[in-house]
Amino acid sequence: MTRSWPEHTRVLVVEDDFPTARLIQARLEMEGLEVLPAGNGVEALDRLQREEVDLITTDLMMPAMNGFRLVQEVRDLPPPKGRIPILLISSNQNEQDMVRCLAAGADDYMTKPISAQVLVERLWRLFERSRRGG
Amino acid sequence: MTIRPLDLPEGLLLQILFWATLALIGLVSALVLFGALLQARRDRQNRHRIACFRDWEARLAVHLFGEGPGRHPFGEVPRRDRWLFRSFLARYQATLAGREALLLRELYLGLGVHTSLPRRLRSRQPRTRARAAQEIGAFRLGGYLGLLPPLLHDPVPYVAHAAAQALTRSRDLAYAGPVMDWAIHEDTYQRERLLRVLEGFGPELLPWMEAHLPLPEADPGPWVLFALLAGSQRHRESQPRLLDLLGIPNLDLQASTLKALAALADPTLYDRVRPLAFHEAWEIRAQAARALGVLGGPGAVPDLIQLTADRVFEVRRNAAQGLADLGHAGAAALGWLAEDPGADPFARDMARERLEWADERGHQ
Repeated sequence: MTRSWPEHTRVLVVEDDFPTARLIQARLEMEGLEVLPAGNGVEALDRLQREEVDLITTDLMMPAMNGFRLVQEVRDLPPPKGRIPILLISSNQNEQDMVRCLAAGADDYMTKPISAQVLVERLWRLFERSRRGG
Repeated sequence: MTIRPLDLPEGLLLQILFWATLALIGLVSALVLFGALLQARRDRQNRHRIACFRDWEARLAVHLFGEGPGRHPFGEVPRRDRWLFRSFLARYQATLAGREALLLRELYLGLGVHTSLPRRLRSRQPRTRARAAQEIGAFRLGGYLGLLPPLLHDPVPYVAHAAAQALTRSRDLAYAGPVMDWAIHEDTYQRERLLRVLEGFGPELLPWMEAHLPLPEADPGPWVLFALLAGSQRHRESQPRLLDLLGIPNLDLQASTLKALAALADPTLYDRVRPLAFHEAWEIRAQAARALGVLGGPGAVPDLIQLTADRVFEVRRNAAQGLADLGHAGAAALGWLAEDPGADPFARDMARERLEWADERGHQ
């Protein structure tokens, strides 16, 4: 499957676990994406206000501001930032949390352990869908 | 009584004080020096660890995701750094799946440290035992699984938990018996954690439980776990057994079974669940209220309105949630309750609270 990401496609990777964040970043950079790392929801919102972002991938459990709250805050932003596709990644397989996050406006949900290949594919699908205005 | 000073010549006393002070200064200096040396050693180790981890992180990314023809070998790890490399790999155990997880496993096996697992599982240090158990689970070392069941009786709870998790991750039902024994003897408040562990076996555990657990009338405890697992895994094939369990007069079991039936969401069960909404035990009324919202249609509204005035908060809360789950008919009933000055104050407050909650989140 070939994916042709437009130049300077930017992904905000929100993850408090540093090794995981570095690995996700490495994989996305190999894909030709520009990665903006953030350690929690507060940092992510700060970066989001200052920079242009095409996709967001966020962990659920984080200090300061968790992924659920981040999704709500992003969705409260005016468009186009309020419509950025969000992929949630969590080690928690709790069904209630998944439902809560999707209801809050997350576009997709993955539970750890994750396959990097699946992660990229899902991001691509979200990106394609948002580009088509879906 | 007066205390007399030691009867010593003045010169000798001064000398004693002088040498004692000197000895004290020497002792303190030695301690400070020893502490500084320890700290310097630790700093050096930390710097080395950080340098190694940085190098390995970059190599790991290429090894796992490198493009182009052929594989990208990770490269050598010096023998003296192998213990460090093991903890480096351990950081990714819970994160990676698929092809990357297999590559990590190969790297781990390439270290050769798995041969020390039997010794580490017997270590006096609980952390070492737990980590060894985690390695067996994370790197799918099937050959070592047989060493884990004794650890389920470990006096340190997190060691037993790590062993149980490793056994369930293997999905080998040959270990379901010992793991189930461990789970049954754990405290009830740990139930959510236990369920997460047991889910590791996958849905095949439920038929195994049906075939191997004692009769529910004789020992309902393990069947509570069965019901909760059937619910969390949406295991439709377990529904007939769940209906049997609903008839067993055990509070915990009936409440858990109702929870599972609500999760399975089969509307044909509505009539079976409805009488339990007026059970004398509030735990059962609370779960029945939640189930009625999922299984019922507009016909469930009168019962749920009645339950919003229940004397127990949990029942009222679940009844209000049940109304919200019913969709338009339930939402209209909540609106009516919230506005009606003649409604039961309990019911009115709960309806208002539920509507405010929905309003804050922009949905019903």
